[in-house]
Parts: sequence; C-alpha cells; structure tokens
Amino acid sequence: MEGARVTASTSRMSLDSALTALARRRAEQVVVSTMTALAPWRERAGTDRDLVCVGFMGGASSLGLGVALARPDVPVWIIDGDGSLAMQLGSLITIAHAAPRRFLHVVMHNGVYDTSGAQPLPAEGAVSFAGLAGAAGYARAVRFDNAESFDAALDELLEVDGPVLAELMTEATGAAYRVNPPPDAKPTPVLAQTWPRVARALA
Amino acid sequence: MPLAESIPAPALLDALRAAGVTDVVAVPDTHQRTLIELLQADPDIRFIQTTTEDEAIALAAGLVVGGRRPLVQIQHAGMYASVNNLRGVAIDGGFPLVLLIGLLGRDPRKPPRENFDSMVRYAEPLLDALEVPHVLLDGPADLPRLAEAARLAAARSGPVAVFVGMTTA
Repeated sequence: MEGARVTASTSRMSLDSALTALARRRAEQVVVSTMTALAPWRERAGTDRDLVCVGFMGGASSLGLGVALARPDVPVWIIDGDGSLAMQLGSLITIAHAAPRRFLHVVMHNGVYDTSGAQPLPAEGAVSFAGLAGAAGYARAVRFDNAESFDAALDELLEVDGPVLAELMTEATGAAYRVNPPPDAKPTPVLAQTWPRVARALA
Repeated sequence: MPLAESIPAPALLDALRAAGVTDVVAVPDTHQRTLIELLQADPDIRFIQTTTEDEAIALAAGLVVGGRRPLVQIQHAGMYASVNNLRGVAIDGGFPLVLLIGLLGRDPRKPPRENFDSMVRYAEPLLDALEVPHVLLDGPADLPRLAEAARLAAARSGPVAVFVGMTTA
C-alpha cells in the first residue's frame, strides 16, 4: 500500500473540468455515477455501460464493487459524492479487502450537500477521503485540488493494480434537486431501466 | 409434533448449491455461524463479507449485473438497517435476490410474529409492508423452500426473503 498523499487544500476545480478528464478516457469501463455528477456525466460520456445510484445514497461504490467482483476483466469507475460516501464509510474497508484490480473510485468533494441546499458536510475542512481510503487499505489514494494535476496523473492511476481513490476538491454546483410532477402511471425506476442494459453489454 | 432444534449447516449449504447460488454476500450472524464457517472454506461458493447490510444488498445487485447468482446472508437486525437499499436497490431495481435472514433469539415454540423479541416479531410484518415475499425455515424439512425462493425471485424480478427460524448447527 502506497498510502494516502494528502495536502492542505483551499483551491477547487469545477465539476465540469473533473468530468472532462474522465470522459476523455471513457472506453469499456462500467461507470456508476451519483448525485450532482450523474446528469452531466451521462450527457457527456454516457454509454450502455452506465449504472446510476439514485435514491440509495452511499450505495454507488458497493454496486460497482459487485460488478468488479463478477467481472474482474472489466474496469469499473465510481463517480461518488462526499456526502454519499460519508453515509457508507464502511464500504471503503469492504472495497480495500476485496481488492478489485481495476477499480477507480472518484469522490467529488465539494464540501456540501449540494442538491439539498448546500448545507456543509460535517467536519468539512478537516476530513480527508483520500486519508480514510488510504487507512482502509486502498492501493492508492490521492487528493487533487485542480483538474490539470488530476488529468496529468490519471493515466498512471488507471494502471495501478488495486482499488484507487481520487478525491477531487470540486466547487459546489448549486444544482437544486428537481422535484418532478407526480406521474400518471407507475414509472420504471431508473436503476431498473439501466442495469439490464449493462448486463447485456457485459454478457 | 416436536420442533427441530436446529438446521444442519451442511444441509443448508447443499440447499444453497441446489438453488444455484454462486456467491454469498454476508454480514456475520450469530444465528448462522456454522453456515458461515462452511462457506468460508467452500471452494465453489464465493463468500464476500461487507461491513453493513445495505452494502451487502448493493454489492449483490452488482454481482447480478455481472452475471452471478448471489445470495445475501444477514441477521434480522441487519435487515432493519438495510431497508433503504432493500427498497431502492433490490425492489426498485428489480433484482432477483434471495435474502437469508437469521431470526436470532426466536422462541421456536411460536410463530415469529408472536415472539416477545421485537427483532423477531416485526420481521415478517416489515417485509409484508414492503411487499417482499418471505418463507420460514422451521427445520431441515423446509430446506427445499430455498430453491423455491430463488425461482420466485427470478420470476418476479425482485427480492425474496428466507427466514432461518432455527440456529444452524
């Protein structure tokens, strides 16, 4: 374990620039995205290998770990949120122990619960998700505060044999949760729409 | 009729095989301790341990996406803790998952919902509220219900619970 490299940080990158770096490398990976990153990611880089985590905050990385353990030949990326991961911190231990070999866990650390009104994350300014992942046993865990350094390091991170966590210090988007009008007919939940497509793509 | 005092873990493991289970995703359960010991040493069924039960449900769903046939093994207290992922992943996602749930502390002389222990008493009513089918293993003779539960989960594209009403031995 190379451990976490964490430095004090006040500067932040835009969510858009962080996603751009990832989108440039999008190929055959299964990607699980959640929260404010979900819609812009799917717009710019969505494929039939995208899974979504909506309505079960904190579950993105566990869902992706299952795919990774079923199909170790397929790279899996998680585009997680800081508030989401905080709800399931134990998943860091599970992932480190399971040690999927091609597993990139990106955490968008904007420091707030963006969609619910930008309330601050508990311990914001002190907590380090890279530090937590490194202590849990991830093969590599690194914090980035600008998109250029993340972009420059990403190819090498994708070659690491074992789970990697990239904590990206991002700006809040101000994107409020959109409440849709009640449907007239029972809708099919988005996860039920997407996972069979991913399963077919992997079959 | 006297009640069986336990369910033999080797027979339960055979029932998992008969149900086509490839992976068991679990949080340790005192009630099913002997089965866990067998699973940890089993060369065919992969045993994956998580830190929480909602993690176990999401991880098992991911295994399904990747073509595996997992089973989630937890305790009743963990079932209560996992309700949001049971709803948001297993039910809303339409995942054919079997949950093997230990009823630790159950008085076997009574049906679960007549037990004094709240963890036992509310287990079946909770799943009724969530419209999740469930069956009870009250002894070795009930073990074929596990394969039936797996078939039902596949047919309804959703979770089915199997309560382990006796300690495994």
